[in-house]
Amino acid sequence: MKQIALYGKGGIGKSTTAANLSAALAGEGLDILQIGCDPKHDSTRMLMHGTWIPTVLDLIRERGDENITVADVVYEGFCGVRCVEAGGPEPGIGCAGRGIIATFQLLERLDALKGDVIVYDVLGDVVCGGFAMPMREGYAQEIYLVTSGELMSIYAANNIAKAIARLSRRVRSRCTLGGVICNAKNIEGEREFVEEFARRINSRRIAYIPRSRIVQVAELQKQTVIEYAPESDQAAAYQELARTVYGNETTSIPTPLDMDELESFALEFVQV
Amino acid sequence: MNSNPSPLNSSRFEGCTLTGALSVLTEVQDAVCVIHGPAGCTHHNFSLLHATHLANDRLEVPRLLSSCLRENDIIFGGEDALEETIARALSLSPASVFVLSTCIVETIGDDVAAVCAKSRDVPVIPVPTAGFLGGVFETGVRNALSAVASLARPMGGQKTLSANLIGEKNLEYGVDENAAEIVRLLSRLGIGVNLRFVRGLGTRDIDRLGSAAVNILREPALWPVGDDLKQRLGTPYVDSFPAGLTGTCRFLEEVGRVCGIDATDAIGEEKAHQAEMLAAFDDIAGSRVCFRSPHPMFRGDPGAEAMCMGCADALDLVIDPDGTAIPLPYPVPVGTAGIRRMLNRWRVLVREKQRE
Repeated sequence: MKQIALYGKGGIGKSTTAANLSAALAGEGLDILQIGCDPKHDSTRMLMHGTWIPTVLDLIRERGDENITVADVVYEGFCGVRCVEAGGPEPGIGCAGRGIIATFQLLERLDALKGDVIVYDVLGDVVCGGFAMPMREGYAQEIYLVTSGELMSIYAANNIAKAIARLSRRVRSRCTLGGVICNAKNIEGEREFVEEFARRINSRRIAYIPRSRIVQVAELQKQTVIEYAPESDQAAAYQELARTVYGNETTSIPTPLDMDELESFALEFVQV
Repeated sequence: MNSNPSPLNSSRFEGCTLTGALSVLTEVQDAVCVIHGPAGCTHHNFSLLHATHLANDRLEVPRLLSSCLRENDIIFGGEDALEETIARALSLSPASVFVLSTCIVETIGDDVAAVCAKSRDVPVIPVPTAGFLGGVFETGVRNALSAVASLARPMGGQKTLSANLIGEKNLEYGVDENAAEIVRLLSRLGIGVNLRFVRGLGTRDIDRLGSAAVNILREPALWPVGDDLKQRLGTPYVDSFPAGLTGTCRFLEEVGRVCGIDATDAIGEEKAHQAEMLAAFDDIAGSRVCFRSPHPMFRGDPGAEAMCMGCADALDLVIDPDGTAIPLPYPVPVGTAGIRRMLNRWRVLVREKQRE
């Protein structure tokens, strides 16, 4: 079983990438479990054709954690992808990070963490220990950073690299960086910028997902691109990503940049 | 904290902010304290307060309620649980409710003050007491004293020739003896005690906190409370209970100065009283002694050594490293009566050494 996690700045297209990745992997005949780890609980929505599935934390809140079964939390979506949403507290109260920990403990107890590939789709920034849960021992061994060529997005990716570097120092840790996925925003020199960033943090750009209108159109139809336009170039890009990730055996311990390095590095590219 | 079982070491100065605050707030006898956090925070403090009360021959049970937070309250926010616990507290018909926070609720950002601010028939007062923010027992004491002071009638009331005792250490052995010594000293100046703030009070008593002419702080560390009360109620303060022979006379002088009373006669009387007290220890005069730290695990009170040297001087004791080892007192004894109790212990040690 391969367990991977996608991290990146909020709004960068993690959930779109994750859902299309899962759909493409499922298209290869693999058994996929996608777990949305964001209180906004919209990670699996396109796989579920627009349906908001009950979140693990909503169920815990309503019933307590004793009376929950696998069937209550795992929902089958497009192409057999099994979908889970962790959910979270109401905005502005409580502790979403602890919610992620509680969700993982419940999924463990229900023995729900299985399949050929588990895809964890995690909140934009690793704001606290709870959101680093998928990086801990026994969960995702490979982390993929999703970023565009925008500086704020690179900045967030660099921060996540710090979390990976920190956690990988732990004795039994198996968490490593699998690579950087460039989810393009059509910025000039973007591909090279992300590629160089990946190189400098001791990783590599493993995929380039071009910007395409078809992603928005598919989303309006409440579908992944893989389902809505399986013959499109965009679907091919996701399928290539899926094959690369599934076959990836090269991972690394990242060497995040400090702020000065990051800024001078950005200047080199922005001035071009 | 106290590896020495002697009752003298049953004072508790370091430790949890919450415990410090409760040592004050449970002395408002018609109040209920709500502790917003996991049940263990309440249980631990209940046990400690109850055991300390029993050791001081007090049978009452501290009135504590816990919001009993569990993991789900932490994930989804604990404010509803707090609301319910305040309602439960109010159903016991208290005259006031104090709501204390704990580490976990401050971490997740429960807005305790906002929940307390809802309009109710009795005052519901938030007291910030999360220990992880760097505070110790003393911080809790200070926060609690300021919280209770918010119930006092605001400035403008008539001052009477009386004093408040501020921040007595309710968990220390001898708290009432120390207060009695202050009462005795103040009576030399014709000053009575208005309030022991906070020990054995009712909520309505707090109303008259501002009518004293002077506040007497238990120790200098309480100066922020002294300043706070001065600003709120216009009451000047003396920053510590008296320590040492000359310190006790200085205390009379300072209280006199603050209250506009000539303390010359009072000081003369007290000096005579001290001489009489010291005369009772003639039998150990000239003995060889040395002072040592009260306990190897323990940093002593910085003022203790100077105070002891003063007493050794007055008794013509000789300081000699081979003399009777005398532990420095912790806490420093209060007033002349405190010194008499301390000298009784010295006498026991000197006699023991002589018998060897």
